[in-house]
Amino acid sequence: MADTGAVAARRCDSCSSSSVSMETISGLTELEDLEKIYQQLCAEEKEVEAELDRLVGQEGTIHTKMLALQRMGPNLQLIGGDASQLSGMITFTCSLAENVSSKVRQLDLAKTRLYNVIQRTDDILDLKFCSDGVQTALRNEDYEQAAAHIHRYLSLDQSVIELSRQGEESSAVDASLVMLQEAEQKLKVIVAEKLDEAVAAVDLAQVERFFKIFPLLGLHQQGLARFGQYLCSQLASKAEENLLLATGGELGEKRALMIFADTLTLLLEGIARVIETHQPIVETYYGPGHLYTLITHLQQECDRQAQKIVDKFIQQRGYHNKFQIVQSSMMKSLPGERIEPRELDPVLAEVTLMNARAELYLRFLRRRMTADFEVGDAQSITQEHQQNVEKLLKHCLLSTTMQELIGYYIPMEEYYMRESVNKAVAMDSYEKGQLTSSMVDDCFYIVKKCISRALSSSSIDCLCAMINHANSVLESDFREVLYNKLRQGFPATTLQDIQRGVSSAVSLMQSSLQQGKFNTLGIESTENAKAAFLNDCCKLFSQGGGSGDQAKIESCLSDLVNTSTKFKDLLQEGLTELNTTAIKPQVKPWISSFLVISHNIEEEEFNDYEANDPWVQQVIINLEQLMAEFKMALSPVIYDHLTSRMTTLISSEMEKTVLKCSFSRLGGLQFDKELRSLVAYLTTVTTWTIRDKFARLTQMATILNLERVTEILDYWGPNSGPLTWRLTPAEVRQVLALRIDFRSEDIKRLRL
Amino acid sequence: MSMEDYDYLFKIVLIGNAGVGKTCLVRRFTQGLFPPGQGATIGVDFMIKTVEIKGEKVKLQIWDTAGQERFRSITQSYYRSANALILTYDITCEDSFRCLPEWLREIEQYANNQVVTILVGNKIDLAEKREVLRQRAEDFAEAQSMLYLETSAKESDNVEKLFLDLACELIREAKQNKLDNNDTAPMPGEGKTISYLSCCSLN
Repeated sequence: MADTGAVAARRCDSCSSSSVSMETISGLTELEDLEKIYQQLCAEEKEVEAELDRLVGQEGTIHTKMLALQRMGPNLQLIGGDASQLSGMITFTCSLAENVSSKVRQLDLAKTRLYNVIQRTDDILDLKFCSDGVQTALRNEDYEQAAAHIHRYLSLDQSVIELSRQGEESSAVDASLVMLQEAEQKLKVIVAEKLDEAVAAVDLAQVERFFKIFPLLGLHQQGLARFGQYLCSQLASKAEENLLLATGGELGEKRALMIFADTLTLLLEGIARVIETHQPIVETYYGPGHLYTLITHLQQECDRQAQKIVDKFIQQRGYHNKFQIVQSSMMKSLPGERIEPRELDPVLAEVTLMNARAELYLRFLRRRMTADFEVGDAQSITQEHQQNVEKLLKHCLLSTTMQELIGYYIPMEEYYMRESVNKAVAMDSYEKGQLTSSMVDDCFYIVKKCISRALSSSSIDCLCAMINHANSVLESDFREVLYNKLRQGFPATTLQDIQRGVSSAVSLMQSSLQQGKFNTLGIESTENAKAAFLNDCCKLFSQGGGSGDQAKIESCLSDLVNTSTKFKDLLQEGLTELNTTAIKPQVKPWISSFLVISHNIEEEEFNDYEANDPWVQQVIINLEQLMAEFKMALSPVIYDHLTSRMTTLISSEMEKTVLKCSFSRLGGLQFDKELRSLVAYLTTVTTWTIRDKFARLTQMATILNLERVTEILDYWGPNSGPLTWRLTPAEVRQVLALRIDFRSEDIKRLRL
Repeated sequence: MSMEDYDYLFKIVLIGNAGVGKTCLVRRFTQGLFPPGQGATIGVDFMIKTVEIKGEKVKLQIWDTAGQERFRSITQSYYRSANALILTYDITCEDSFRCLPEWLREIEQYANNQVVTILVGNKIDLAEKREVLRQRAEDFAEAQSMLYLETSAKESDNVEKLFLDLACELIREAKQNKLDNNDTAPMPGEGKTISYLSCCSLN
């Protein structure tokens, strides 16, 4: 129905929406317009007709749909009835279910209560059983059993017990409770007494027996304290024995030097062993996390015994006395009581060994305690636990005592190093055939030894401090020594005097040699040493040291590398000096003798030169002699540096000299030949490429060899090909002007 | 060596009596923390912080030393290579102030003579417990030609300023040194006098 209404409305719509209104039509006067409008209206009419046809065609389908709908009506009514019936059913079921579940809840409640009742009766029964059991167990001296009963009683819910007392059977329960409490007190006293007895009797089996009972009575701390006390007394007697043995002195020569370190090692190893053997008992009967408490007790004894050993060590070795002597002789250079560095050797080694042992022991403790906490609960290793452990380890007397010892050790080691280096410098000797004097090797050996010893103490701070000192000794003292030697090597007045020149060259060599050694040992080896040391340190401290410690060492070592750079600079300075004082005065006249040889020559002289070389062979022979001397005495690296400097010198001197000469065509050819032999010779003696250094001279020779002035243009500018000119146009003109047969107008006219 | 991503590298060493707050100053500056209940430092601690000053990256290597007597010989070994020393005392502790001359003697003996020293009075958050008057400390610092600053590591007062001022001063000196050295550097090759960098000479 609605459909037809909509169609009507549409029709009405299309009616009014006709594009042409009546008014417009009546307003039209022109025939043409009328015809147009008529056409338009006709078209519209056709459209409307088509639309109507379409709508009429739809009528059939609409009708069938209507019929189907009408048939559906009664079905729908049926569905409505069913649905309301279903809803009623559901409501009913729901209420039923609620009903049932409330009953179930009640049942559940009843059940839990029942359980509670059973539990409580169990507990009460237990209580009775316990109180009976304790009595018999105590009578039979079966303390384990008694303790087990007490433990059972203690683990009962206290509130349950309270409740039971309010019940009807209160008197009976009360009685057993009182009895149990009494028994508990009694047992505690007995166990404590028995343990004390066992401790006094040094009966390990009994000690362990009663030690195991304590946690059952809830007396963890007391048990650990008493057990700790027992272990301490054991340790103390053993340690005293060892110390007596140590001071008795019936030992071999070798051990005697290290006896205190050995005694300390025995003590610490003993404690470690005790911890190792008793950790399982503590863990089993006391639960994890209690090792810390036991170790706290043991550490007290350890501190006491270690202090005794260290006191004896200080007393017998005169440690403080030695330190004071060292300190006073370092403070002022006055000749007072001095101490031979060598005398310090054993005591320094002993101290580092003691510290290393202590560090090892403390690392062991840390590992054990953390592991024990972790077993308890890996997540619950709280900040507090960590802090406790750190505090115990860092501030125990053993640590502070060791820190004090190291505090004295460092200045002594520094003194040892400084004095030994000074001695090595003083005893410096130079053996023939040896490239370096003894001093360099000796000094580095000493420095290395001191650092290694500091490293062997396992104390990172100690190691860093010694690296710092080593650095200061090398950078200031030792560098000063080398510098002074270097300066003595170049007396400024010897330049003309050949005789003295030679001798100065010898002393020069000697000092540069030392630096030669530095070049290989000092510079490369500091880098190597740094890597090697760092490697060692990593290995050593990987258990205990964090990344911070490694950064510390690395920073200190990099200072050492800086020092090696300073030595490198010193070497360069030395080479410069050597070059200017020993080589330049000799080489210069050889080169300038070139001036005497005329290069303004004709065919005949050229041939004569060919037969009897006027200059270059002599120069080469001279150079060979000069360099042979150096080659023998200098290390290869230094020799290479020196020859490089020499070739630079020769090329610049040659250049200056050539510009003072004049050349004929054949003279140019002669010069070219001479230059070639010189370069060929120098190439054989150096490992550096020297072609580059002689590039300008070679180009000058090329210019002097030209046929005509304009021939230069074949090589210049766009024609230069692979050749890169090192001479400026002005210089090219200058060289061209050296040829007497080139006219200056031609040269001027050149466009370069 | 690692990439050198900085323009300057300075070593700063903190010294002073035990318990004046050296570690707290360093922690405050490098990590922004104030750890209460800080235990005594063992030996020497080492921290790095890179700051930027006027567009230049400055890497500060800060060595935090233990104040206790038994570590003295370890801490002394760091003086020589230090560019700057921060001498710290506690304004609520007269004793720590009275020990300053002793510390200055140590500096005199072990540090290189170009070192920049700054006096720092820490713990100004505890003003009501102050035992050392500011004027007194200022006079003392002036007499020793040191810079002076009062800080609180707890309240983070002046801590940043302390290290940044120091860095600025060090940069200034480094630039000055560079100029001086250029003036006196011998001509390469011909020089007879080989000038020493003054920082290398023993005092």
